[in-house]
Amino acid sequence: MKMKKKLSENILDKFSIDFLRTQVLKNAYGNDDTVIAALDPRILIVWYLFMGLVPWFVNNLWFLMACFILVLVTTKLARVAGLVLLLFVIGVFTQTGYLLVVSLFFGGNASTVVSLLILTLKVATCSLASITVFSGLDPDRLSNGLMWYGCPERLSFSISYAYRVLPMLMGEFQNILLSFRMRGNPPEHETFAGKVKYLFYQVKVIMHAFYPLMLNTAKRSRTTVEALEIKGYRYAAVNKAVKKMKFSTLKVTYNDLLFLAVSFLWISLSVLASTLA
Amino acid sequence: MQLVKKQTATQSQKLMVFVLTMALYGLATLFTELLPKFQVGFVEFSVEFFLFIPLTLAILFDPLSAALGAATGELVFSEIMLGQFGGLGELEKFLTVTIGVYIAGRMVRNPANRKMVCLASITGTAVQLLMGTIVDIMKVQFAVEDFEAVAGLPESVFATEGFAFLNDLLFSGILFCLLPTMFLVPRLYGKIEPLLGMRPRDEQTGLGGINIKVVIGAVIAFAVAAGAELLASSGTALIEWEADWAESGTALAVGLVTAAVVAVIALIALKYKAGKGEAEQI
Repeated sequence: MKMKKKLSENILDKFSIDFLRTQVLKNAYGNDDTVIAALDPRILIVWYLFMGLVPWFVNNLWFLMACFILVLVTTKLARVAGLVLLLFVIGVFTQTGYLLVVSLFFGGNASTVVSLLILTLKVATCSLASITVFSGLDPDRLSNGLMWYGCPERLSFSISYAYRVLPMLMGEFQNILLSFRMRGNPPEHETFAGKVKYLFYQVKVIMHAFYPLMLNTAKRSRTTVEALEIKGYRYAAVNKAVKKMKFSTLKVTYNDLLFLAVSFLWISLSVLASTLA
Repeated sequence: MQLVKKQTATQSQKLMVFVLTMALYGLATLFTELLPKFQVGFVEFSVEFFLFIPLTLAILFDPLSAALGAATGELVFSEIMLGQFGGLGELEKFLTVTIGVYIAGRMVRNPANRKMVCLASITGTAVQLLMGTIVDIMKVQFAVEDFEAVAGLPESVFATEGFAFLNDLLFSGILFCLLPTMFLVPRLYGKIEPLLGMRPRDEQTGLGGINIKVVIGAVIAFAVAAGAELLASSGTALIEWEADWAESGTALAVGLVTAAVVAVIALIALKYKAGKGEAEQI
């Protein structure tokens, strides 16, 4: 009992806003020196399109297994933050894992397991590929790559901005919640009715916390936009010369092509294996 | 002075609203992504919605910027940043959120009018949920998702989806969309607008209610959303069409492998050579 209490405390401890903030920061800027981060974003996006789409159309177990192993390796190479991986595992389980439990419960057999395995592999491959590309890349490089493919400037701006502003926003939200907690008078939560009351109280506090947060963020977004305007953002966004300057940092090297070639080799080996099997 | 232009916000103010909504709603969806979901049978009690944030902002500011900002925020913060980007299927969510928030924002001419705010916030939520439900039903109707629901029982699909819709609307809709919006709009009205350097919305500066153009735009956008979602989940149905290349003979596969090996070796050689060249230059 004591152990259980300690464990739950430990988990709650870990799952604070501070933890979230460090994880997001780590995810965005903590892995700049990896093999994946050094690759050209355009090449990686092409690679992602393949790994994210093709597995959906193939039912071959060999092929899917090979794809899965490949993205597993790249995710390892990208050194993705733990929180993201945890979310991935939960996500895959909620999508297919519970189906397995249910089908076994209703008397499923080996064939159900195989078909579910195929589905799970598809889901897992696609999400790991997106984790590799979107978490492994530096946000600025990612947004440059997306822009090169003609994504709207707003989107690439949003990506770079989101990564920068999120830790700040989280800190602010936490401060507001803490001040609510200091001044507030939470209801007793010893009995069951009290617990329900307490839950509603918590939800109410979170809702109320958005009031000061909205005002503060409004001020901040005005400052942001004014700073952007001073730099001529709206003209620069559509100006060809500026775009050219931005894209001059992107460069396809032998490493990028090698990455593609090795992936291709691995996939084709799996095709060979599936034809032989 | 009745020549007030209908266009109330300048481009940079629109950008401000976009950034504001994106940041706030993004933060909120990030939290919901991390919160647990309670599932009782097929009924999901989730704190899915922080939709009150974009609803409030759409009612107070330019609705289109707020709607696009909310959808972008969700996409960037909770999908791309957490590596859960689902490809084409995300387009459905993006468009339905945009439509729902935009319609709610257009409905309110005067944010001081509480009745209208109440009606708009529940309508926006309902529209968003309803579109999601319709897409879900369509998916089953076209037999795209074969493992959901029992085959040959369309009634059960209607029943479960309809129940989920009502449950979402009455549970999260009222608790997490209607009440907070009713709380926030009157408080923020007149206070938050000066921070972005604009006049509060009133009868004169309002964009005018829903007209036929808005409805047509919403319908087109919804059709695109439904199409994208169906296309995204129809992947499983297209398998037969693609699968035959896997059996089309070992020769092709051997060819592929050879090509790949040659490419890898050539690239390594080129890289080695390039590295040597650079070293000599230094």
